[in-house]
Amino acid sequence: MAADVTTQASFGTTRGWRKAGRYALLTVIAAIVLFPIYAVLLQSLKSGKDSLDHPRSLLPVDLTLDTIRSAWTSGDLGRLMLNSLFVSGAVTLGVIVTSVLAAYAFAFLRFPGRDGVFVLFLATMLVPAEVTVVINQRTADSFGWINSYLGLIVPSLASTFGVFLVRQVFLQIPGELREAAALDGVGHMRFLWEVATPLSRPTLGALGLFTFLGSWNAYLWPSQVVTDEAHRTIQIGLERLKTPGDISKVNLVTGGLVVAALPIFVMLVAFQRQLVRGLTAGAVKG
Amino acid sequence: MQRITRTSHRGAAVAIAAAGLLAACSGGGSITSSGADATTTSAATEGSTGAGEVTTTVAESTTTVPVDTLPACDTAALESAGGPVEITFWHGMSGPLGEELTRLTDLYNASQDKVVVSLVEASYEETNDKFLQSDQDSRPDLVQMPEYMVQAAVDTDASIPVGQCITDAGFDTSAFLPSAMSAYATQGVQWAMPFNVSNPVLFYNKRIFEAAGLDPEVPPASLEDVRTMSQAIVDSGAGTYGIAVESGFDSGGGWYVEQWFAKAQQFYVDADNGRAGRATSVLYNDALGVEVMTWLQQMVTDGLAVNVGDNSASGYDNLLKMADAAQPAAMTIATSASLGPVLTVLGEGTYPHISASDVGVGPMPGPDGAPGALIGGAALWMMNHDDPVRAAATWDYVAYLVGAQQQAEWAVATGYVPVRTDARDLEPLAGTLAADPRFAVAYEQLLSAPDAPTSAGPVVGPLREIRTVLASTVAAVLAGADPATALDEAAAQSNDLIADYNARNS
Amino acid sequence: MTRRWRDLPPAVAMLGASVLLLGVWTVYPLVRAIQNGHLRCDATGRRCRDAGWGQFSDVFMSNDFQHALGVTVKLVLLTVPAGLVLGVGLAVLADKHLRGIGVFRTIFSSTVATSVAVASLVWFVLLQPEIGVFSDLLSGWIPALKNPGLLRDPDTALPAVALSSIWASLGFTFIVITAGLQSVPKDLYESAYVDGAGGVRRFTNVTLPMLAPSMLFVTVVLTTRALQTYGEVALLTAGGPEPDKSTTTIPFLIYGRNSIIHNDLGLKSAAAVLLFLISLVFAVVQFRGLDKRVHYGR
Repeated sequence: MAADVTTQASFGTTRGWRKAGRYALLTVIAAIVLFPIYAVLLQSLKSGKDSLDHPRSLLPVDLTLDTIRSAWTSGDLGRLMLNSLFVSGAVTLGVIVTSVLAAYAFAFLRFPGRDGVFVLFLATMLVPAEVTVVINQRTADSFGWINSYLGLIVPSLASTFGVFLVRQVFLQIPGELREAAALDGVGHMRFLWEVATPLSRPTLGALGLFTFLGSWNAYLWPSQVVTDEAHRTIQIGLERLKTPGDISKVNLVTGGLVVAALPIFVMLVAFQRQLVRGLTAGAVKG
Repeated sequence: MQRITRTSHRGAAVAIAAAGLLAACSGGGSITSSGADATTTSAATEGSTGAGEVTTTVAESTTTVPVDTLPACDTAALESAGGPVEITFWHGMSGPLGEELTRLTDLYNASQDKVVVSLVEASYEETNDKFLQSDQDSRPDLVQMPEYMVQAAVDTDASIPVGQCITDAGFDTSAFLPSAMSAYATQGVQWAMPFNVSNPVLFYNKRIFEAAGLDPEVPPASLEDVRTMSQAIVDSGAGTYGIAVESGFDSGGGWYVEQWFAKAQQFYVDADNGRAGRATSVLYNDALGVEVMTWLQQMVTDGLAVNVGDNSASGYDNLLKMADAAQPAAMTIATSASLGPVLTVLGEGTYPHISASDVGVGPMPGPDGAPGALIGGAALWMMNHDDPVRAAATWDYVAYLVGAQQQAEWAVATGYVPVRTDARDLEPLAGTLAADPRFAVAYEQLLSAPDAPTSAGPVVGPLREIRTVLASTVAAVLAGADPATALDEAAAQSNDLIADYNARNS
Repeated sequence: MTRRWRDLPPAVAMLGASVLLLGVWTVYPLVRAIQNGHLRCDATGRRCRDAGWGQFSDVFMSNDFQHALGVTVKLVLLTVPAGLVLGVGLAVLADKHLRGIGVFRTIFSSTVATSVAVASLVWFVLLQPEIGVFSDLLSGWIPALKNPGLLRDPDTALPAVALSSIWASLGFTFIVITAGLQSVPKDLYESAYVDGAGGVRRFTNVTLPMLAPSMLFVTVVLTTRALQTYGEVALLTAGGPEPDKSTTTIPFLIYGRNSIIHNDLGLKSAAAVLLFLISLVFAVVQFRGLDKRVHYGR
């Protein structure tokens, strides 16, 4: 990227003041964005009593892990996290596989009606969950998938968004590459595995991250298909912590929030740059 | 920015115009009157009943259901079982309630080898939904459903009436609380077995009472008393408000209104509260209804009561208002099941200005101080799988759960009222009641209910939805709407709901 | 010609899984919902009788649905423009090679990690009148925060829900717009600079047009999220406050805990199908309206 002329500025010049101003603005906004998370995080690190003692509740003093520990045990959060991890992992893997296959068909194969089918694919993105959830619940019930991992995983294995994203990236692979490979007798699957997929790795990573995120955060469908404790996912567990039916446990929900959001935050911090890069790879141009 | 803004403004303008246009030409009524063959909207009438015109014919009402049309229950069938019979119980007991149920169930499973019970826990609503939407084969052997589900459960034709088993086994129910049993009986049939019983009681702050010059051991008995005492509290400055009121549908907005009608020995819906036949209309928009609504409204207007909203957020906003340091309320009405948790949290010192010993409990105040209350909570429904062995096994478990000793332990651990009087004098309940008589208030209140058909409470299909409608009305009244008009509108909408329900269930 | 038909078997094989899954879990429910939408059944979904296709328009015209439609549209208007402006503003602000900019970028993206449940509960904890942090701290200046509390005042409840939504979507918007910004070819900026265009001019004439595809994508996603707002309402206000039902969106009307059509399969299906049609209308309007302004690369 071309060097930005402002980076050469030093303090004391107008450019320097502008840079200081920019930092100030960034800091203020970052504080605003972060404040809710900070407040809740701090409340989760205090005892029930201290968490209600405002404004002292916002100071990093009198910290304890008791609330989080309480939330963990009374909400059985350990098992919920494992359930979510398993389900989200399986869904992520499945979505990448189905999206890559479908995207390959749309990008590299030419079959009759291809573009029409693609538009139909896109249209399914608009069908709201409200339409699908009730019927899907009965479908899942008739398969015997209520309160099972199959019910949680299978309906989410196809993603139109994923097909869209990967197709964008596949379209950027030069047609000549494909033709040359064809001349060498390289079949579709081999080309997919050895050429197309490695070239799209950043985008596949971004897709994986978004899919994992979406699955981890899902609330509506899991709440319909799972009602027992054994298969419950973390978001449902959070909701149950909120109305514990016991007035003495008002603070537990903050402990649960921290536990539920922590893995995702960690993933985000680790992979944020890859996420942006993966989206930049020609994805969002349309 | 200009170009993008203009186009998104245009898009927004189109959307608003469209929505406005459509809203303007809405001639629609309630969403439930959609579709052909819909019942005509009942006209809002003044006066004692809000009955409107109904186009569908309602089933003939009978006073009793013939026994030979009901599924049979052969309690001796358990003897012929080869090995242990596995049964499933869907329940709605969470947290400490669920823990106690699990403890009792584990004890039961360990104490005999004929029946093995497995528990599935969900919320009341989830359990209701699951029950309604499952095929009979997917339903378990026993389901716990709350008191408003009676008509809906009966209409599914899915259960074996508990009364059949009671008769077959010669089970003695003489010690059971009459109002608890009758709550789950209609047309001569005992459909379900009461299990966890609660009712609303008055919580009040004794310290504030004393500071206001009131006797801390004498809580108000009538709505008038509440007003007088609230006046004293506010005038003396001992508390900011006399009482915290709310409009939750399962409390101040719906359920409490039913309580007040029962206390005044008036029917809430027709057909003898839906127990002599199918109910077709509500009766709550009469003089009594207007009286209680007016009382609520004036209490708030005169600054004697504070409205904490629809209590949907935490379920105990009204109790939290009593614990508010800055502007506390001295009283509130809440379910007796909250007493235990309240004392626990106050004991932890979370709210330093109110301690556990400051809390007083009294019977729920009502019109003219009439005693008694309707039961809340849930009951056990046995499912019919055409399998006498499973049914007998389920009955065995049910009989255990409502045994006197189990009810005594259950009451102490959960704060529910025992369903039978002979549990009261068993340990650990006897000791708990002796040590803290506050826990006995809810129990005494049920015993003091008058022996009248009104003491069983209303049974009607869309009872839950009617409570929601009424809760919205109470909220409107608390915000200043005219009670009589608001009640008539609520009655009209409720009658529509009933007519719609009856049409879909005939 | 031969290429087209020869590609069909592998195409079927590769599309098969997705088509099957989408068919069963997206298309089939839509078809069934349309079928159910003209029925009225009992609470178990049986004893259905035909209520006619007019039921769809009856539901649409009903007071409950119109009210929910109004709330939903208001929510779209509250969250989408604000979310877009904030996302673009922050992305542009953070699009400089300053030291430590990565930290700021991470902070601005962080809300993408929050789920609907997490974000709503965070704001619930903050705004709850009796024990919330904001209510206690700021009630000195803004008494309404405590009595009755933002979430219980009919005028502020929906904006409060919108605030929670905007905050939650900020990370997503920021990431997508940042990605869009980074694909703007630098030589376009340089030629504009050489032509004498100042910072603002460069923004409006180069940045915005090149961002248009990303902005369109963000707008569509934010609108869809607003139209399908359920979790935030369920956790923050339960559709209240009564009696105005100020936050009862269409999804909440269908699925809410206290919904009066909770046990009515026919009405729920009809309302859901209507929501789909409304989403379709919004999507078409947005694509047609904004598509003209979209530049695809050079």
